[in-house]
Amino acid sequence: MIDEETLAQINGKYVMPPDAGPDWKAAAQYGFDMSLVEDALRMTPEERLEKHQRGLDLVLEVIAAGKNHAAK
Amino acid sequence: MPQNDKALLSRLIENKVEFVVIGGVCGVFHGASLITLDLDICCGFGCENLRRIETAVKDLNPHHRLTANKLALELTDELCARLKNLYLSTDFGTLDCLSEVAGVGNYDQVLQRSILRSTSYGEFRILDLDTLIAAKLAAGREKDLDAVKLLRAIKERKEQQKDLFD
Repeated sequence: MIDEETLAQINGKYVMPPDAGPDWKAAAQYGFDMSLVEDALRMTPEERLEKHQRGLDLVLEVIAAGKNHAAK
Repeated sequence: MPQNDKALLSRLIENKVEFVVIGGVCGVFHGASLITLDLDICCGFGCENLRRIETAVKDLNPHHRLTANKLALELTDELCARLKNLYLSTDFGTLDCLSEVAGVGNYDQVLQRSILRSTSYGEFRILDLDTLIAAKLAAGREKDLDAVKLLRAIKERKEQQKDLFD
């Protein structure tokens, strides 16, 4: 049986690190997905750029698909 | 159009361009989870350095992306002396080269406030986190101020957790 807290996390609730400072809390409150930032901070800078490139490729693919669709 | 920042950076490094990565890609290197569609650098605008940039992208169909007729990149000494920025489109994507950064200053001042990054494809410099925040604040657009919120959080976290990659 999945407890309510786990279910909330499955559904997207972000668990603030216990030692999160005011700027971290403010960014989370503003709407940034800080779990992604936590992941990025565990990567090397080079890995961060690789991950960004994969995201960027996807975004550009979607933009191109949108343009193709509009042209039809 | 594809955007391959790694390939563009590799070209700049190979051709010994003197530059500092600024803007969104700099934020990504610091850990920001933002998608950015171009590569922004601040660089020396002396003729020799500009010629190195030209050589670096020579075979990539480079053109001035903001000109009405997409003028091809063909530098002359006379043009080099008049340039302040280069907004280029290439087959590897957009490369914006700026001679100064708002809130920081010219290339020499930017260089002083940069840190070295070592990657598998070479070494280059990026703005340090404090300076990137200052630059974003000076730019002042909504998207820059959004990024500042994230960058401040990253700065705070890195100060708390020294074992994180810088």
